[in-house]
Amino acid sequence: MTLIGNICSSLFPNLSGDSKNREGVRGIDASICFPLLALIISAFVWLIVATVVGFIASIKMHSPGFLADHSFLTYGKVAPIFWNSLVYGWLFNAGLACAVFLLSRLGGNNVGLGAFLTISITLWNTGVTAGIIGIMWGEQLPFQWLEFPAFAAPILFLAFLGIGTWSLLTFRARIHRSSYASQWWIIASIFSFAWIYTAAQVMLVGTPAQGAIQKLVNSWYVENVFGLFIAPLAFATLYYLLPKTLGTAVVGYKYSSWAFWSWFLFASFSGIADLANGPIPAWVSSLGVIATFGLLIPTTTMSIQFLSSLFSCFSVIWDSATARYLFVGCITFLLVMYHKIFGVLRGSLDITQFSLYDSGVTQLALFGFAGMTFTGAIYFILPRLLNKELPSTSLIDLQFWSHLMGLILVSIGLISGGTQQGELMNGSTAEALVVVKTMQSSFYLTTIGMVFFIIGAVASGATYIGIMLSTRIQEENETSLVKEAPELEYNAS
Amino acid sequence: MNRGPFIFLGIFLIVATSWTFVLFETNQGIGNLSAVLDEDLGKYVPIKTVGAAAHGKEVYQELGCIACHTQQVRVASGMDIARGWGDRQSVARDYIYDKRSLIGNVRIGPDLSNVGARQLDRNWHLLHFYNPQINSQGTNMPPYPFLYEVREVVGEASGNALDLPEEFSPGEGLEVIPTRKAESLASYMLSLKVNYDLKEAPKSNETMAEELAVALENAQ
Repeated sequence: MTLIGNICSSLFPNLSGDSKNREGVRGIDASICFPLLALIISAFVWLIVATVVGFIASIKMHSPGFLADHSFLTYGKVAPIFWNSLVYGWLFNAGLACAVFLLSRLGGNNVGLGAFLTISITLWNTGVTAGIIGIMWGEQLPFQWLEFPAFAAPILFLAFLGIGTWSLLTFRARIHRSSYASQWWIIASIFSFAWIYTAAQVMLVGTPAQGAIQKLVNSWYVENVFGLFIAPLAFATLYYLLPKTLGTAVVGYKYSSWAFWSWFLFASFSGIADLANGPIPAWVSSLGVIATFGLLIPTTTMSIQFLSSLFSCFSVIWDSATARYLFVGCITFLLVMYHKIFGVLRGSLDITQFSLYDSGVTQLALFGFAGMTFTGAIYFILPRLLNKELPSTSLIDLQFWSHLMGLILVSIGLISGGTQQGELMNGSTAEALVVVKTMQSSFYLTTIGMVFFIIGAVASGATYIGIMLSTRIQEENETSLVKEAPELEYNAS
Repeated sequence: MNRGPFIFLGIFLIVATSWTFVLFETNQGIGNLSAVLDEDLGKYVPIKTVGAAAHGKEVYQELGCIACHTQQVRVASGMDIARGWGDRQSVARDYIYDKRSLIGNVRIGPDLSNVGARQLDRNWHLLHFYNPQINSQGTNMPPYPFLYEVREVVGEASGNALDLPEEFSPGEGLEVIPTRKAESLASYMLSLKVNYDLKEAPKSNETMAEELAVALENAQ
């Protein structure tokens, strides 16, 4: 009976007595409780799917006979399932969870429409599921991150439109005329994704362009999914949560709009740099290289903002579960941008082209920068949403360290292994078999890393369930556990 | 920076500019190419993939071969020419018949744009798909046993049964027959060859020197 009561108090937190000073916030949280839980739970389920499938894929790299008898588990299908569940499953759900929470909190207004949002989210996850089943069925398209069969695209598009409409309405309904950096990043990212997804689907599936152009569209799309959607959501989260968890304003906040515009401008052109030497005119990749170097401007600005804020309250970082994740997220952001920016230089591209290096940098960006930031944010959101305390810090510690361990192993395996592979493939005439042999240790590192990711994912699931099932204690009703920093975002202009 | 419409307009302009310059412009430039007459071959090139090879191309797409194999040859960088993966740069015109581009961007295995010119033996390919260890020992390419049917030999062995080495044989009295998918995939591999020149496609210095030497010899 108590258990049912605890679950009910998780689903309808506004029914339990809460202190008055939080009534306003509670009303907002209650209106988005269902959709947010849907996003967080879906994100968790997809993370499990992605890490398990990634584990299988990584085993296949060194033991090709593993699960080879089943056509739906062949490497060529498992690899795209891994990437798609990672991007559209885990990161989209987790990123949108942050977006929904931030937009409602920053808007300070209750727009309702929770049912509409929940339906859109369900539709989105149905689309992703259908797409993954389609890949297993043998209907995959040969486009990176767009492998879902054509029938999944309209479902995903409609679902995203629903989520986008809700976000827009929430942004419009904000009670303060001024807006905070997080809001710009979210609104811009949602609008951009609708744009690039439509453009890619039309030019690749609807009315396919000629072969070489398809490759160009694909590269443009992939880099923009990261640059114009996932990364902006992570920035939005950082701009909001750094002040909240550290209790201080973002250092140099006034440069935020500068970072915002320069990031979007350069990121939207940067994805085409790695097409050098291919069947696309050289000026296209040169444009990409210039734009990628332009990313130095927003990268420097934001790194200074985030890291100065973090270092100014360094002692707080290890006290707060969320701040730790954000700290690692910021550091990984720097590493990712280092590889992205200097990786397009002619010298490095000649070595790393077609190797696993790219895959390593992308996983560093997804698991590290975006993944760490969103996971930290969910540990911030969930207790506030349900008005319950995090049940066990040791589980969170376990998740943090295993995720970090996995990140280090996978990125070292793929980035250094990929460089090695590239040197042999592009710089010598060594037999493909010799190249595979030198890569063995990297492949094993990746597999071990994936095991750590799975442990981390399971631990985060246990934490979520722990929060849902925990009993609300008296102190929580009085609420001293959710200490809000002064409403920084309302003062900032 | 407080107005939503301002952000919308700005982002719209940025993404639209990126789309126009990168995708639309390039598509105007090299997105409407057509086949050209190759006088040496007396045919229009590139040549369209048809029949079993076209079915094999679908199998290639379905199994996600693109996860490890590219189909593009570079001249200006890398060792593609030295490795014998081709003798000229791949250009946009080579891909005009691809409804779904299979160019790819990862090479865990070799490039396949000219595999039909390197490995002419159909049986080699059929054995290779059944279990790559048979003829490429140590590779990490997965086997595709599900593209084959293992059945009992009734009377005489079938003509199209694989000629397997002892250690890969499924057992006494059993034979391995390629399904239509395996046969088509092999046909597709054999069809993959770029045996025509395009005037816009650069060649490596070595290839040009060789061609020049041959031409000089002929002239003498």
